[in-house]
Amino acid sequence: MATTALPGRNYLEEDATTIGAWLKAWFLTVDHKRIAILYLLSINFFFLLGGLAASVIRVELITPQGDLLSADLYNRAFTLHGIIMVFFFLIPGIPAVLGNFLVPLMIGARDMAFPRLNLFSWYLYMAGGIFALTAAIFGGVDTGWTFYTPFSSTYANSNVILTITGAFIMGFSSITTGVNFIVTIHTMRAPGMTWFRLPLFIWASYATSLIIVLATPVIGITLLLVAIERLWGVGIFDPALGGDPLLFQHLFWFYSHPAVYIMILPGFGVISELIAAFSRKRIFGYEFIAFSSMAIALLGFLVWGHHMFVSGQSVYAGLVFSFLTMLVAIPSAIKVFNWTATLYKGSISYRTPMLYALGFIGLFVIGGLTGIFLGIVAINIHVTDTYFVVAHFHYVMVGGAIMAYLGGIHYWWPKMTGRMYNEVWGGISALIIFVGFNMTFFPQFIVGYLGMPRRYHVYPQEFQVLHVLSSAGATILAIGFIIPIIYLTISLWKGAIAGDNPWDATGLEWEVSSPPPTHNFTTTPVVTREAYDYPPDAAEVDAANWRPGSPL
Amino acid sequence: MAHHEHEHERGHIGPATYYKVFAALMVLMFLTVGAWWVEGMLNIPRALGVFIAVAIASTKTVLIVLFFMHIKVSSRVTQLYAVAALVALLFMFVITMGDYFARGWPPELGPLP
Ligand code: HEM
Ligand SMILES: [Cu+2]
Repeated sequence: MATTALPGRNYLEEDATTIGAWLKAWFLTVDHKRIAILYLLSINFFFLLGGLAASVIRVELITPQGDLLSADLYNRAFTLHGIIMVFFFLIPGIPAVLGNFLVPLMIGARDMAFPRLNLFSWYLYMAGGIFALTAAIFGGVDTGWTFYTPFSSTYANSNVILTITGAFIMGFSSITTGVNFIVTIHTMRAPGMTWFRLPLFIWASYATSLIIVLATPVIGITLLLVAIERLWGVGIFDPALGGDPLLFQHLFWFYSHPAVYIMILPGFGVISELIAAFSRKRIFGYEFIAFSSMAIALLGFLVWGHHMFVSGQSVYAGLVFSFLTMLVAIPSAIKVFNWTATLYKGSISYRTPMLYALGFIGLFVIGGLTGIFLGIVAINIHVTDTYFVVAHFHYVMVGGAIMAYLGGIHYWWPKMTGRMYNEVWGGISALIIFVGFNMTFFPQFIVGYLGMPRRYHVYPQEFQVLHVLSSAGATILAIGFIIPIIYLTISLWKGAIAGDNPWDATGLEWEVSSPPPTHNFTTTPVVTREAYDYPPDAAEVDAANWRPGSPL
Repeated sequence: MAHHEHEHERGHIGPATYYKVFAALMVLMFLTVGAWWVEGMLNIPRALGVFIAVAIASTKTVLIVLFFMHIKVSSRVTQLYAVAALVALLFMFVITMGDYFARGWPPELGPLP
């Protein structure tokens, strides 16, 4: 492999001399790396919008009275927040940005199996986003991201149709990405890249794609049915029209529980890469981590009813769902134990991506364990629709998925851009995010357990302390998210040249130059080594070579 | 490695087959409508009527999946994916119907619709 001289031009370099040519070179590109950059920019834009909505919510909740927003406006604010964050940030986030960039590079391929489909998926994403934003501009939606019927299909007088059209289109963007990953991983692996030599990020992306392809069509049809009932009064979900509202909940959660794994599984993949690279050890229990991703993909389809314990579903169904929910925790726990075992006697360096990875493990454990609490019917009945649930899913989605996303962005930033970011600011902002996050969401466990319901903008006086704490934490968290945007942008011009392999990591993506050449590999790589093939004594050698002042 | 090769194994379905399948689908469509008629005229029990309708619909699905979607002549992996989709659908139906089936249990919770 070429490791020194730049083989050809890198994917960011441009022949375009006119603006038109430049636009064409980016907006009609079929290069998976450029598509990843398009996704990076657009997904981060949606993340900032969703964050803005969150800030409005947190400001309103500083006082017990509703002084900033009316009840109706508040409903629209948390709905906007939920829809943007779930459908336009968390679900596409890691697969579309890091996955698009890395899957071909990691398996030694020149591009995805269907490059044009890949570009098409970005256009679908943007089209879906434009529908959702249009809905927001014309007054928003007040159904919550869950679109529960019959409110959404009959009673709500907000922009339900526009919004679900947006979510519907965005679903197809997910599906095309998922299909592309599956076919690429099956058919485009380099010679010698056997299934058990694949980096674990690839296993995680594969399992995620499986869920996407099998579950997303269901949400598409379900949203379509809501639209049909709303537009033409066909009785499907509304009891007044002879429908059954619980049917909606079954269909919705049949997608949306697996969807939480669409959000977190790619994160698991990122964390496996980071933990191995910054412990300089072969990952502990490779096969277990790989298969636990597949087990999660399978079991995730069997537990949706844990969102419906108080909905009026059969108590026996509740019993079965409760039991099955306990089972999903096992593969998640397997991963955590294997990461911990990888750290043991590793040569750990606390670089920015590793800080995110360690933060992820701690926060995900809290999020996962409170999920188990919620899976127990008796506890669930007590805390249903309270801030306890809100805290749970933010621990897994922000503490889990977003920490992994940021860790991954930092880890592969030198590969994507060819530049290093400022390590000091990286560490500082990772710490700020960790502190701000816990300060925002830990009080929500308490206030929820004490009885604060979710989705209300007024509350009893005695909850104010915890709410103010939470809003203060959110401010810190917001600062923590803004700092990386600044130093990462600055690094594009000022950052030190990264070199091909700044972390001294294994994996094919580190064998090409940074940024990678347009066609990734000048010659097809032949893989002869296992994944995470760090020399067995790497940890000892590192420890012996460490001097005061070397990076930690 | 074991890729690139199996692209050539892919079979081919000729237009003659498409027309035959299309004709079969049309016949099945008339059968669906006919069954609805007969059900109304002969007072066939609702459960049996639903069963017959679902049986006809499943046949149509199988025809479309096998021929129009080329699963019959696809690679093993593609066939496996088609089966996986059906398994997922089975999960959805069986578990959801399980809830409907057990809705009014135990009786002291009162019969729910
Ligand atoms: C470790 C396994 C997990 C278990 C056992 C679990 C369990 C649960 C349960 C029982 C609920 C229902 C609470 C209620 O509404 O009363 C719930 C809600 C939720 N969970 Fe989890 N969870 C797990 C992991 C995750 C992950 C990984 C995510 C996302 C990345 C997630 C996201 C959510 C969301 C978004 C909700 C709330 C949905 C809503 O009503 O808006 N969970 N979880
Ligand atoms: Cu769930």
